[in-house]
Amino acid sequence: MFIGHFTEEPWQKEDWPVEWGSGVMAVSNAEYDPVRASNLYHRYIDEKVYAEEMGFDGIMVNEHHSAPFCMNGVANVKASILARVTKKAKILLLGNILPIHDDPLWLAESLAMIDVISRGRLIPGVVRGGGSESLTHNIPPHYNRERFEEAHDFLIKTWTTPGPFRWEGKHFHYRYVNPWAVPYQKPHPPIWVPGTSSRETVEWCARHRYPYIMLASQIDLTQQMYEIYYDTAREEGYEAGPQHLGFMFFFHVEETEERAIEVGRTLTQGVRSPYDPGAQRPKPWIAGPPGIATKSARALRRKMTAADSSGRTRAGARATFEDQVATHGMVVGTPDSVIPKVRYILEQLRPGTIIFRTGDGAMDHESQMRTLKLMGEEVMPKLREIADELGLPGPYDVDPRTNEPVTAMAS
Amino acid sequence: MTDTSATFTEETLDIAGISLQLRRGGSGDPLLVLHGELGVPDWLEAHELLAQHYSVCVPSLPGFGTSSFPDWLMSVRDLSAWVNWFVRECGLPTPLNVVGFSMGGWIAAELATTNHALFSKMVLVGAAGLKPREGEIWDYFLNSAKDAFQRSFHDHESAQYLKYYGKDWTPDEAEQVETNREAAIRYLWRPYMHSVTLPDLLPAIATPTLLVWGRQDGIVPISSCEIYEDSVANAQVAVIEDCGHMPEMEKPEEFAKTVLKFLKG
Repeated sequence: MFIGHFTEEPWQKEDWPVEWGSGVMAVSNAEYDPVRASNLYHRYIDEKVYAEEMGFDGIMVNEHHSAPFCMNGVANVKASILARVTKKAKILLLGNILPIHDDPLWLAESLAMIDVISRGRLIPGVVRGGGSESLTHNIPPHYNRERFEEAHDFLIKTWTTPGPFRWEGKHFHYRYVNPWAVPYQKPHPPIWVPGTSSRETVEWCARHRYPYIMLASQIDLTQQMYEIYYDTAREEGYEAGPQHLGFMFFFHVEETEERAIEVGRTLTQGVRSPYDPGAQRPKPWIAGPPGIATKSARALRRKMTAADSSGRTRAGARATFEDQVATHGMVVGTPDSVIPKVRYILEQLRPGTIIFRTGDGAMDHESQMRTLKLMGEEVMPKLREIADELGLPGPYDVDPRTNEPVTAMAS
Repeated sequence: MTDTSATFTEETLDIAGISLQLRRGGSGDPLLVLHGELGVPDWLEAHELLAQHYSVCVPSLPGFGTSSFPDWLMSVRDLSAWVNWFVRECGLPTPLNVVGFSMGGWIAAELATTNHALFSKMVLVGAAGLKPREGEIWDYFLNSAKDAFQRSFHDHESAQYLKYYGKDWTPDEAEQVETNREAAIRYLWRPYMHSVTLPDLLPAIATPTLLVWGRQDGIVPISSCEIYEDSVANAQVAVIEDCGHMPEMEKPEEFAKTVLKFLKG
């Protein structure tokens, strides 16, 4: 089992108007207060360092653009800092938005440097990004997937082929590829891919035997995506297992149930990701400009936001705190009460990686630290036992590329 | 309104490397119509009025309507090369008259800069292709498709706005709008709706040119008209009052009259 930690690292301000929602392409950066920002950046870095101390295997960072709900506009900056100030935890970048880079050589060398500084702890995940990323960086959304795939192929070649070489693709062109920095890990750092509901992304991931981390915290939708992974793997001639699959969900733990619910509720308050259940969504033509989402992805997204047969909204626009707790997208409670709930998720999905999303929304630093402490001291040791009992190896237990056990030397 | 039901044909042809949706009507000398970035929803009243004098030919450009969309078409310059190919394969005698709307006007201007023998006369209507002197070309892609049509018309009570756009769309109509947006986005994304080299090529145009602009064009500012006027030798200008970006739909009779006067003159 690989256990990761994630916070979206939102902007926090008590009087943030509700109608501003996530703020994605909706709020002027005249609102950005650098002093407040510096305090928040320090806080979030400190929390990551503490998460490592509490025993998380990986600390995850991501990025969004023109988006107050995620203060990391450049995740590689955060990853660079963590590479030096942490010692053991994997730095889980989920991930770089490949299509928005016009110069993926710059990206290849940046990631190689981070991997080297961290002494081989970088997991440089790759993503396609949402519409707002294409719009803000003025990257053609209609070539999103082509640019994603070409940039990926370019990164891998740059990391694995001694330079110099030439690259003449459709979207990227180089006459001299020979960056001085090359990655610490060989043959190259492991690629993971997060996703929500794109069939094409899951299939692509399975064809490359990359771990797929489901971010949309819903059991049934995740099962559908995992099925696509299993089916594609079989077509490719291998059996996918827990080492190929991950699941992220909201989490908060306290000494008493009452306090867990009272404080856990703040996860659904404040400046929130528009991709979260219950959050205000960006306008459809911003979230998905023509060309960025295939018809099948659009259909699945519609399904996600629909009501189920009982009339309860799913991950839709108005899923409440209670809805999310009821559907296992959010687990809150005491150390004793959360463990069976997480066990249920593990039994249902059989992921080898779980990522706890804590301290988000309007939650304060002290509450985040309390939950991390309880997780380290009481929750995670028991979950590791359960994962062993259920037979859920992570990607550092069984190599997703070969399905062979990872030896101590190689890991 | 003119009854248009029996006077045109619509067919699908394998031509110039694509499967093409082609609407044609009328008789006489050919008149090529190049639609704008929102596509063309029908055989329009303006087409019918022009078809009383010309053999009007309205291809749905690659990616628009039900025309296919090969990967190689990546820019308006590619699209203008395709139009040249289409004109030859369709057997249209040249030189011929052309009317281009917005993006279609840009295509016509590109062709006229490279081939003096293709067009006899050229009408550019709310033509894109240039960075305006004042104002900005309205951003289709930060806004919804509904907003785009609303923005394109000055009068939201006008008959063709209500008929095609100012109503609830059927799923098929909505899907067609999305298909057209996907095509427009590939041709127009960046530089947005303009070429950085076209301004310097415009003086190469020898084709007699009429510039038609709606006074209240909310998509391509009328200051773009001034650049065309200053750069294309002997260009004439006709501004239609109380009219937005689509005079052919908002003021079809006045539009047709203006165009016919120029073509016949």
